[in-house]
Amino acid sequence: MADSIALPRLQPISPQLHVVRLLPGVALLAAIGYAGKLLEQNVGRYAKAHHLVIPNIEYVLWAILIGLAISNTVKIPDAFLPGIATYEFWLKAGIVLLGARFVLGDVVKLGSISLVLVAAELAVSIALMTWLGRLFKLRPKLSSLLAIGSSICGVSAIIAAKGAIALFTFPLIGHWLGMSDHAYGMWAGLAVDNTAEATAAGALYSDAAGKIAVLAKTTRNAMIGFVVLGYALHWATAGQAKFISNKASFLWQKFPKFVLGFLLISLLATAHLFNKDQLTSLANLSRWAFLLTFAGVGLRTNFREMTKQGIRPFIVGALGEIAIAALTLALVLGANRIFRL
Amino acid sequence: MSREKTGGARFRISLDTWAVAIALATALLVRAGVLKHVPW
Repeated sequence: MADSIALPRLQPISPQLHVVRLLPGVALLAAIGYAGKLLEQNVGRYAKAHHLVIPNIEYVLWAILIGLAISNTVKIPDAFLPGIATYEFWLKAGIVLLGARFVLGDVVKLGSISLVLVAAELAVSIALMTWLGRLFKLRPKLSSLLAIGSSICGVSAIIAAKGAIALFTFPLIGHWLGMSDHAYGMWAGLAVDNTAEATAAGALYSDAAGKIAVLAKTTRNAMIGFVVLGYALHWATAGQAKFISNKASFLWQKFPKFVLGFLLISLLATAHLFNKDQLTSLANLSRWAFLLTFAGVGLRTNFREMTKQGIRPFIVGALGEIAIAALTLALVLGANRIFRL
Repeated sequence: MSREKTGGARFRISLDTWAVAIALATALLVRAGVLKHVPW
């Protein structure tokens, strides 16, 4: 899942944790997100009133840009860091609530297509990153980390750096190719490693693309346990890791629980447990949660940190990501012809 | 992904589980009519 470049990892929240510690950072996320929303509404209005031709910039991009500007120009006081790290919590809560916008049949249909594409993406990504790691003589365990990060879920600064770049390039490529919302969302969900940035990359294209990007990325996330287990068994066989005795427990521990929450809400919505107004409220709650996430995506991206990672891992990561982006684009365009996404 | 749940003898809930629990509780509040209209 998403990890921070400049921020500490959010520790599991225990009942003893002082919620007060989180408030400054959460307030900052909310302020940035809301400022993005206000800018979206008012810049367009101002341009229209003054007959200016300005591209319509959505709140998603404004929130990320404001966060980026802050994190790359001033040192964020320590008091804000625990709250900023909650962006991952808002992301997962937002994904669960987004389940209300999916009929379970659509989840099964699109999820099945995603699963086939994810399987192809996993096989090629892992093989490619392992080969690149050998070519650039990276330590085998670092190659494994990059392979897992690139194929499923980014956990390193290298992966996070690429996610930030994808945010600005993917929508441009998608528009240039004239991709449909579904096809683009599927591509963003398959190619962007970090869940927060995959969600943002999708939402930057359109609301519908954002929904599909979350679904495709969630399918990828659900696979993480199997891939990590495979690597763990490989390293255990090589005598360089502890042997895993209870594989089912390992898989459950690694399985992202928000996937189950997403499916449950979708099931409840499909069973008409919520009326139309309630579904609208749930969708809006999901948007508010994502608003805080997008502010966090900007705040966690620090370009200075990217230069500290070492040039070889960065080159391997960059080459791998470009190849994976091209491969997944080809996969999605092919699937679009067959399934009419 | 899901974080470790046990810290010594104490049971600790992962971030994932908290997010799911809070989201489901919020959905229940919407269903029960406590949260009537959430604007965007």
